[in-house]
Amino acid sequence: MVDAILLILREVLEAALIITMLLVMSRKLSIAFNWIVIALALGMLSSWLLACYAYAIADAFDGTGQEWINALLYFSVILSFIVIASIIAPLLFNTPSHVQYLPLTNESIKPYRKLIFCAVFAVGLSLAREVAEIWIYVGGFLHDPNLLQSALIGGAIGVGIGTSLGVITYYLLVFISARAFLNILFVFLVLLCGGLSMQIARQLLQIGILDSATPLWDTSSIINEHSWLGELLYALIGYDSSPNAIQVIFYWVAVMPLLLILLWNGYRRNRTSI
Amino acid sequence: MIFRKFILILLCMSPAISAATVPEFTIEIHDHLFFPSTLVVPADTKVKLIIINKDPTPEEFESYELNREKVIMGGARAVIFIGPLKSGDYPFFGEFNPKTAQGVIRAQH
Repeated sequence: MVDAILLILREVLEAALIITMLLVMSRKLSIAFNWIVIALALGMLSSWLLACYAYAIADAFDGTGQEWINALLYFSVILSFIVIASIIAPLLFNTPSHVQYLPLTNESIKPYRKLIFCAVFAVGLSLAREVAEIWIYVGGFLHDPNLLQSALIGGAIGVGIGTSLGVITYYLLVFISARAFLNILFVFLVLLCGGLSMQIARQLLQIGILDSATPLWDTSSIINEHSWLGELLYALIGYDSSPNAIQVIFYWVAVMPLLLILLWNGYRRNRTSI
Repeated sequence: MIFRKFILILLCMSPAISAATVPEFTIEIHDHLFFPSTLVVPADTKVKLIIINKDPTPEEFESYELNREKVIMGGARAVIFIGPLKSGDYPFFGEFNPKTAQGVIRAQH
């Protein structure tokens, strides 16, 4: 049962944090929460389809289908995050520091429909990959009711812990000022985009499309991926203690648009205030 | 200099070129155990691992040291490229059965 708890917690942790951050964003921008229902439905449906067609996907493209699908899902989530970052970036500079919630009528959040669409997409596709693995894992115990029961109870505890951590994080963030939260959200989007793009590189390395090289550095003696902190960072921001040069290039390719968006909005803000 | 690096990356992205001389090794999964549990591969060489899951249940091949992770459905096979690796031991495990499914890739000259 402990194995099931750890496996499912690892799978749901990243999705729980993404859902939490986007729900707090929704609250801060006075956007109704009903989009999360569509996002969860999209996640459950797409993950179930991925699990149902797991054999066909694995065999596709000469046995590389799983990696291509994963890379496509990571890429789509990165694009959603870049659009979300481009919409919230002006708010980092325009929002008064004492305001806790912004009204939906605020001129700056006019493209909120695009924001909701991207939030649905990001949550749905993040869940697709992670939950598909849970369906496959639990499906492996269908032949043995005792093992199935143990896996289901372990899974429920794992989901419960992940959800609890999400709820705690929500209440820690919802009471800070809108401006402070949006800054945290932007940093979170940068870290997550970087981590996800390293995962894309890893998929391509795994199928031999890219060639591995000697790792650029090795921080496993400081934070090992086997440690609880390493596991946490791996689940949340795709921490890798010994990345390849190509992974670092992918990291910066994903992070650069976000940094440019930030610089551009800072420049515009300075120009209008002169 | 940048152009040369760009060409090098493009060349690295050609699977037809890079897969032509890659040595292949097979690992099988029986009863949630890896066979062989210690696989010796040449150091400083890109290697193609073929993992055959002979169990009816799925397994996930995972290794932090190798930076690899792949679900292998019951009765299916999967291909994973690893390396070039420096000489040393690189543990891997089955995430769905971590207590029993343990193994090591040993890279040596």
